[in-house]
Amino acid sequence: MTAGSKGLAKGSLAVLAALFVLTTAHAPTLAQSAASIEAAKKEKEMQIDEQPGHEPTVEEGELPDVYRRQEVFFRTSEPAGTVIIRTSDRFLYLIIGPNRALRYAIGVGRQGFQWSGLERISRKQEWPDWRPPPEMIDRQPYLPRFMAGGPGNPLGARALYLGNTDYRIHGTNLPETIGQAISSGCFRLVNDDVIDLFDRIPIGTRVIIKQAAQL
Amino acid sequence: MRLSIRLAVVLVATALAANVASSSVSAQTLKTVQERGALNCGVSQGLIGFSIADDKGAWSGFDVDFCRAVAAAVFGDPSKVHFVPLTADERFTALHDKQIDLLSRNSTWTMGRETELGLVFAGVTYYDGQAFLVPKSRNLQSALELDGSKVCVQSGTTTEPNFVDYFETNHMKYEIVRRETAAETLAAYRDGQCNVLTSDESGLYALRLQLPRPADHAILPDVISKEPLGPAVRQDDMQWFNIVRWVNFAMIDAEELGVGTNTLDAARQSNKPDVQRLVGRNGDFGKQLGLANDWASNVLRTTGNYGEVFERNVGLHSKLGIPRGLNELWNNGGIQYAPPIR
Repeated sequence: MTAGSKGLAKGSLAVLAALFVLTTAHAPTLAQSAASIEAAKKEKEMQIDEQPGHEPTVEEGELPDVYRRQEVFFRTSEPAGTVIIRTSDRFLYLIIGPNRALRYAIGVGRQGFQWSGLERISRKQEWPDWRPPPEMIDRQPYLPRFMAGGPGNPLGARALYLGNTDYRIHGTNLPETIGQAISSGCFRLVNDDVIDLFDRIPIGTRVIIKQAAQL
Repeated sequence: MRLSIRLAVVLVATALAANVASSSVSAQTLKTVQERGALNCGVSQGLIGFSIADDKGAWSGFDVDFCRAVAAAVFGDPSKVHFVPLTADERFTALHDKQIDLLSRNSTWTMGRETELGLVFAGVTYYDGQAFLVPKSRNLQSALELDGSKVCVQSGTTTEPNFVDYFETNHMKYEIVRRETAAETLAAYRDGQCNVLTSDESGLYALRLQLPRPADHAILPDVISKEPLGPAVRQDDMQWFNIVRWVNFAMIDAEELGVGTNTLDAARQSNKPDVQRLVGRNGDFGKQLGLANDWASNVLRTTGNYGEVFERNVGLHSKLGIPRGLNELWNNGGIQYAPPIR
């Protein structure tokens, strides 16, 4: 190897290292903020404060017809048992057979618009505890730092965790957020629906998240 | 070597272009439309969600929006349409006799209509098919559970043999209740003379709205026949055919690429080649059609992409509440698929 090429190799290593630092340090946050700006532009977000302690009445929990859990025609090459979440139409589909899915209406939080791909259910929790993230406490300083699971808990009756991520499918104590893009959370269903889904899908279930095309 | 191949391609393309130009001398629909200053578009006389005029004579609907989209592509202005309401019997004659430039009237694409009537379908804007309306109280999930049903059907249509064939193939018993008109068929169902009504899916959603309690009735997700609906033009004008066909394709491609009324400005800044070609920032696709290069932008800005038009007029959140079903994009489980613009 000549001195010249060694120098070149060293130089490119340094560039590579710098790139690596840049990529690891900044790229995820940049990508994330670009994604959330894009999401914010596209979606009219429902600005709603979490209301820990609010216990929805039976009437509140009753969804309009189109948002009720129902069996629908759904073509996919994914096998039965797979969950497909389509954020743009605010539905979660559980594939139950050829051309058939159970459709659940969802509310999609800002987090829920930031990632697409395949994950698996890694954990299932009944009446999960709630720890509001720091950015939510910034916005609503009066929120409790911790709230034990129960009917007034913003995470609702069940939580289904996706892989090693912070993403989860959960219930809600604010049924009116179903069908909306909302500022906080991930994928929320009314409690009756999340209990139904929870009982149908085991740990290891494949969950595919699909987002609208990015420009 | 590479250069000379490119030169050859250019020469062939030029020859082809000249050829197309000379063969369309006899039928200059685009020129006629431009000189007239408006598109004559044949629509149905009144079909909720598809084409209907309000009391001020303003037209709206899925088929109506397609007329507007073609006008937007040609003039940059979706309002330059003269709507011509036509009966089912008049529609093809009106196209043949040049009363209209385009027929956008929930018409099924069949072989006979192309071989016998001298017209050509420019694509499928709506995959319709025969389906079943049932009371929700029957608690049915699938058409295969209809064994022993009393079936209301309008006589004299292909609907009856279609459903009879379906029931017999699947070993289900049935009783037929025939009525002359759609209204009488619906009345029989409403009065409980039957417990299933069968017709084309889009029609069932419209009929359901006329029932005293629409929410008590469901349309089963199974579709048992093919009724591909689409716009038709005369066979003698390839240039016009291509314009109509590519307006449809551009609207479908746009939905796939995430380009619509709200995102068009962002799309014009996009670095994606697919998006750049669609909005006319790259290539001469509009010019090659005989239009401006922002032809598709004009459609998307004013009328929207395929999904927007579907949602607004007939979709889940519209009055009709029809799920996308087969009309989802191909990459979302449906069969709506458009060739790429490139």
